[in-house]
Amino acid sequence: MQRIRIVAVFMTLICTVLLPVLLFSRIATAQSPLSIEHLPDWSGVWQMIGPTVFDRATVAPPDGRAGQHGVREYPPYNVEWEGKYVANIELIRQDRFPDTISTCGTFPGFPRTMNLPGAMEFVVRPEQIWILTEDGPSITRIYTDGRNHPPPDEIWPTYSGESVGQWEGDTLVFKTIGIKGAGDTILDRTGLVLSEEAQITTRLRRADESTMEARMIIEDPEALTGPWSIDKQYERLPAGSRMFDVACAENNRNPVDESGRTLTLDAEGNILDMNY
Amino acid sequence: MGRENNSSSIMRLHALMLFGLACLPATAHHSGNMFDRERTVELTGTVKEFQWANPHIWIQVLVPDTEGLLEEWSIEGGVPNRLFRAGWRPTSFKPGDEVTILANPMRDGAKAGAFVGARLTDGSTLGRFSS
Repeated sequence: MQRIRIVAVFMTLICTVLLPVLLFSRIATAQSPLSIEHLPDWSGVWQMIGPTVFDRATVAPPDGRAGQHGVREYPPYNVEWEGKYVANIELIRQDRFPDTISTCGTFPGFPRTMNLPGAMEFVVRPEQIWILTEDGPSITRIYTDGRNHPPPDEIWPTYSGESVGQWEGDTLVFKTIGIKGAGDTILDRTGLVLSEEAQITTRLRRADESTMEARMIIEDPEALTGPWSIDKQYERLPAGSRMFDVACAENNRNPVDESGRTLTLDAEGNILDMNY
Repeated sequence: MGRENNSSSIMRLHALMLFGLACLPATAHHSGNMFDRERTVELTGTVKEFQWANPHIWIQVLVPDTEGLLEEWSIEGGVPNRLFRAGWRPTSFKPGDEVTILANPMRDGAKAGAFVGARLTDGSTLGRFSS
């Protein structure tokens, strides 16, 4: 009888104290963000290396710049979206494909956030990482507190999308969904676009003291026939560098007219290029 | 060509390759295709106003034509953030400064252009200047 009582007390202890503690600790290990001292130092001001061609591995001609007539890249578009891209390229040739940010009212949008000419910062916190860009300006929040993406009925297309990630050593791995697609955003000024179904998995790491590396794998069941891999690098600007406003509406003398033409205004606001 | 000739004798053509990579395309919030990258004009005149503002800086410069009448040119440059990092300052151009500016002119002949380079009053230069 005494032995049964001891076993009962022991089992009660396990069930009421030890088991919950063990279970809770496992959950906490899976969901708790890393403490700040275990996170990499990504401080400073950074800038993308190279021109704003999104997929430099496939751009043609190889020295082509985004926005120049006839420059294009070769993502694994399906026939329908290759047609959309070709149509955009033709509109660019006619100077009737304004950059979506020319209206000065919207973010560049993800993943173009990783393809901007201005400076950027990577703010690393245990529960979130923030990518702050001068251009836009824009903020991309990447949640690393163990949460999942919201359920489908709580997601709608946004410029930044919804990003959730985790650390694999010193590499931040995050997936972005819920982005705005063609019509609202472009990836670069060659006319590259994605659909709202795109999912971007980004691996971001500091390669050395002065270099950050990003590898993006883009999957888009509506627009692409397979994964599209993009590599980007960013250099650390000199210590003490500052971030600045790029408040596009401050003095925009290049509004877009109804035909998609980008106008040029004189100092009084009159259209200068009436004949172009 | 006619536009250069009509405007004044202080404008000259320069080779495309010297100035083909002006600062505007890489930093602009819009396409720069309204500018003729194959031509460069040289403008010597007096700064009327320097707009150090987003999304582009603008230099308003008064340039005498062949009759001596002043024409106002609008010269569009890059974004203040990147220009600052390249050494520009909000005071790089001041009203009254005598300057020589190289620019890719607008395709339709309007008196505007994309900044390529400049020689300032003190002889220093900004951008790609080679007269």
